[in-house]
Amino acid sequence: MKDVAFIELKTTGHGVLEMPSGTGKTISLLSLIVAYQKAFPLEVTKLIYCSRTVPEIEKVVEELRKLMEFYSKQTGESNNFLALALSSRKNLCIHPEVSALRFGKEVDGKCHSLTASYIRAQRHSTPDVPVCRFYEEFDAVGRQVPLPAGIYNLDDLKDFGRRKGWCPYYLILHANIVVYSYHYLLDPKIADLVSKELAKNSVVVFDEAHNIDNVCIDSMSVNITRRTLDRCHTNVDTLQNTIQKIKETDAAKLKMEYRRLVEGLKEANVARETDVYLANPVLPDEILKEAVPGNIRTAEHFVGFLKRFLEYLKSRLRVQHVVQESAPQFLKDIFDKVCIDRKPLRSVSATLSYFYSFTIIIEPFEDRTPTIANPVLHFSCMDPSIAIKPVFQRFQSVIITSGTLSPLDIYPRILDFRPVTMASFTMTLARTCLCPLVCNYPQTHTFKNTLTLTLVDSVIRNYGNLLLEMSAIVPDGIVAFFTSYVYMENIVASWYEQGILENIQRNKLIFIETPDAAETSMALEKYQEACENGRGAILLSVARGKVSEGIDFVHHFGRAVIMFGVPYVYTQSRILKARLEYLRDQFQIRENDFLTFDAMRHAAQCVGRAIRGKTDYGLMIFADKRYARADKRGKLPRWIQEHINDGSLNLTVDEAVQLSKHFLRQMAQPFRQEDQLGLSLLTLEQLESEEMLQKIAKIAHQT
Amino acid sequence: MSSLSEEVLLVVKKVRQRKQDGTLYLMAERIAWGPEGKDRFTVSHLYADIRCQKISPDGKAKIQLQLVLHTGESTTFHFSNESSALKDRDAAKELLQQLLPKFKKKANKELEEKNRMLQEDPVLFQLYKDLVVSQVISADEFWANRLGDINNADPTSSNNKQEVGISGAFLADIRPQTDGCNGLRYNLTADIIESIFRTYPAVKEKYSENVPHNLTEKEFWTRFFQSHYFHRDRINTGTQDIFSECAKQDEKGLKSMVVQGVKNPLVDLLSLEDKTLDEGYGFCKTFPSTSNSNRTVKESSNSAIIKRFNHHSAMVLAAGSRKGETPADHASETSSTDGNSRDSDFFQPPVKKVKLQEVIEYEDLQRENRPKTVALNLKKSDRYAHGPVPLQSQHYTTSQDIINSVNYIRHEMLNYKPNLTQVLSSTTASSAIAALSPGGVLMQAATQQAINQMVPTEVQGELKHLYAAAGELLRHFWSCFPVNTPFLEEKLTGHLEEMLQTAYRKFHIWQTRRMLRKT
Repeated sequence: MKDVAFIELKTTGHGVLEMPSGTGKTISLLSLIVAYQKAFPLEVTKLIYCSRTVPEIEKVVEELRKLMEFYSKQTGESNNFLALALSSRKNLCIHPEVSALRFGKEVDGKCHSLTASYIRAQRHSTPDVPVCRFYEEFDAVGRQVPLPAGIYNLDDLKDFGRRKGWCPYYLILHANIVVYSYHYLLDPKIADLVSKELAKNSVVVFDEAHNIDNVCIDSMSVNITRRTLDRCHTNVDTLQNTIQKIKETDAAKLKMEYRRLVEGLKEANVARETDVYLANPVLPDEILKEAVPGNIRTAEHFVGFLKRFLEYLKSRLRVQHVVQESAPQFLKDIFDKVCIDRKPLRSVSATLSYFYSFTIIIEPFEDRTPTIANPVLHFSCMDPSIAIKPVFQRFQSVIITSGTLSPLDIYPRILDFRPVTMASFTMTLARTCLCPLVCNYPQTHTFKNTLTLTLVDSVIRNYGNLLLEMSAIVPDGIVAFFTSYVYMENIVASWYEQGILENIQRNKLIFIETPDAAETSMALEKYQEACENGRGAILLSVARGKVSEGIDFVHHFGRAVIMFGVPYVYTQSRILKARLEYLRDQFQIRENDFLTFDAMRHAAQCVGRAIRGKTDYGLMIFADKRYARADKRGKLPRWIQEHINDGSLNLTVDEAVQLSKHFLRQMAQPFRQEDQLGLSLLTLEQLESEEMLQKIAKIAHQT
Repeated sequence: MSSLSEEVLLVVKKVRQRKQDGTLYLMAERIAWGPEGKDRFTVSHLYADIRCQKISPDGKAKIQLQLVLHTGESTTFHFSNESSALKDRDAAKELLQQLLPKFKKKANKELEEKNRMLQEDPVLFQLYKDLVVSQVISADEFWANRLGDINNADPTSSNNKQEVGISGAFLADIRPQTDGCNGLRYNLTADIIESIFRTYPAVKEKYSENVPHNLTEKEFWTRFFQSHYFHRDRINTGTQDIFSECAKQDEKGLKSMVVQGVKNPLVDLLSLEDKTLDEGYGFCKTFPSTSNSNRTVKESSNSAIIKRFNHHSAMVLAAGSRKGETPADHASETSSTDGNSRDSDFFQPPVKKVKLQEVIEYEDLQRENRPKTVALNLKKSDRYAHGPVPLQSQHYTTSQDIINSVNYIRHEMLNYKPNLTQVLSSTTASSAIAALSPGGVLMQAATQQAINQMVPTEVQGELKHLYAAAGELLRHFWSCFPVNTPFLEEKLTGHLEEMLQTAYRKFHIWQTRRMLRKT
């Protein structure tokens, strides 16, 4: 591991790493990069660590804190590293009223209304306009004062802010290590604000990156509904009125403002050329050079232009049938209908310049409810490499890592980069703590053209029996994943009718994921409570759902994971179809390959939730015989794959129960430090011994 | 009997008991029955002794009431007054229903305690059988220092017994049975009713509101089972259904639970995402229009089931932990109410910190710092490991000897230099190998039988019991020292001696029996 990453840092290239979770992926990357940073402070100035969820971000910072504590304990000197976590206002606000709001949107809105420049300007004249005292304080004093060196988690930032009376969100930071969410680097709308000043010789780590292509695509895609357009319309109207008003009072000022805007754009271009900022992926340099075309240079023209465009979009949404077209077609259509040329549009929404990677789909209604008109215009990006390209181009080393990245070679292909190293590590285990079993269920359902499911009754009953049997033998928590929410709903209903759920209730309590996040959170907490107090519980959940992506089921919270079916994505979605086509044409990735890859990474994600380290143990039950096929099996991560032997394939319920019983009994024995020493746990002497060094070298060569 | 001073609460005439007519009296502390024409009671039970009452089913010809005592005996009363038998019985039943619980608490606690101890501890039970039932020592003496021990050591343990939780499947346990004529019968027991009440406080409220003023108990439960509330997948609600309100209340409860949010930040899905942009920018995977209107009936009933299951599980869980955690709950509630103010931040971090620490800590990397236990100091560890070994005339080697010799041999081997001029002949070598391989002459001694395999299990069991009983007696014996009261002296010289004799006799009997069996 260290060798591989080291090569990468040396050669300043990019890399892909797969390592089972809980084996210290984060800490080894952190310690390595920090060590490098200390040794060559000029070569690597900054580490940018991107993770997926807020708890994960905080986890990374805590690990870093431990590392730094270790450093100062070993060297005896306090180091001057500054590391911090960044997050949205919602997680950082310390204003008593604003931070009480529950939704990020509300917090943002309220914050704006307290700190926007025009509000603060108003306050000078009328002092009873409320403002945020933390921001005021920060603005008055805090801007020039740098943050003292140390490790700051979100809460520490808040504490610091509170002590000083400064708003932590606005603390401008020049840290050695920054930990934040993907979006801050990938989403052009946010990245422009947050990340553009990051130095070129930084190291970027994307942790939990198995979904990075979807994040990229999400960040580059837009859905427009009628509601969006309506609101847009009102906003444009307001703008128009304001302009009218200002024009009447102060025409000169307006012109000034407008000129400044144009100047600003030009300056940005210059800055980008001299490589001061992170390039905006949506705005290539040549386009900026053209600056703003003449016909939208004045305010009225601009507004008029917006209106025309808006009307056009509205008219497009009035369609009765599904439309799919490529970006060039779309532009041509605009030109024909409302006489908007391609050029001005380009600078307004520069995304279109990559138009070959985009597609436009207009759906007049949802598939499930063809009678209710709910038109949506999907403007969807199909090439994940667009969003991530500037990251690869700008930073010297980018490391993509996760517990489940198999097959490794597909990521460089779809993200369009050339990695220096690619490695998949497995766990060295003192005991076989994971037990993957594949049950011999046939394919259970087929998606017809609509979302109606064809469910095979006998298989549902079999699934139920499997769950029932497992609930009787597995201690504490079981997590079961279904392939989709609709599917789960139907199965739960038929289990209820067949009385299977009642029987399961005799063994364990049942909790079920719902589409509502708050409700699911509650169910999750209760689930954990039930596992804690020994009653035991079952959580029914959905692959690709929030639970499968963000929640870990450590130790007794997940002693068994059951994956019912193969979590293929809903293939009838037009967006997906378009993307598949694009993949086939541009990257020569066959549809089926991609679908299987996608399904397997989600399956691996789901079952991987239960094993969070080598002291943990858990059953992984794949209840679908398709998993036994080589093309599916081969796409599971190596650390799971190597434990699937022929004996654990194609099992009946009884056989699976027997194997599980055996496994669980073995695992329940006390597992002590001594058992691991020399195998999966090394003392310093052992680590430095000749034998071990050879072994490590061997592993490194293999990968 | 001195019943004159007692307050008589109810008198029922024409009650038969053992085919004799008589009168039933319900008094303040006991229930009694006297045959007609006589002024004494032949049957008299203190309420405290009564475990429960049972009544004959409604349709039966004989209208009876049965009292089951703690001892297991039972007494049946037959109400034979033709005109008012049913009324009489119900009156008696109602009164008993009110009286019994009062006395239940007063019921012989000590007896119960003893009973419980015997039930929970099989070893003790065996000891009790060996010593008390076979009359080696008296029951009082047996309990004398037992109970004392327990009560002194842990006075709260007996009263503060752990609350029994509720089975998650209690509703599944009331499987309806068809009664042949297009109806369903549900068997309810007191336990199930209690489970229902504890899990669904709303139903309990309804019960206390309606029973017995508006509905009889039976009607209440009939309606309960009929209502959609029990059949969770049905949505058509009768408007005058008393339980529809319960459902609403449950919904409210569920909602408030959801609104309260979760304490553990690691499972809070709402704050998982760190993305400031809203829907409309980028794909939002959940399509906005999933309002109830455009969902089919089937779908919404499905999601109703799911909701119910979550709620049910949460309620069962809460019912289990409600009692013990009320103070803690209050504390957290108060703090969460003002948690919405700016205090929330001061309050939250500890929970969060602890959880985060938990997550990033690897227990196997931690130095073990649990309290040091005392290592077992064995003089002859091999005796501890192998148990008694039949004595044999051969030389006895301890493990230390073996280790020494192994070390010695290893040492020898290290310094071994082949002396090829003086090797064995091949025949002697092969015979030596034959002698040393399994089944060979020299390997036979190794297949010694352990003593525990030589003795049949029942003899072993008996010996164990005798051993335990003798141990108990010895405990009694030693507990008499120092002899500072005449009672102890008497105990020591008098019957303890006798007891030991008895025990010894028992041992002797066993010994002879064993010998007999052997021959």
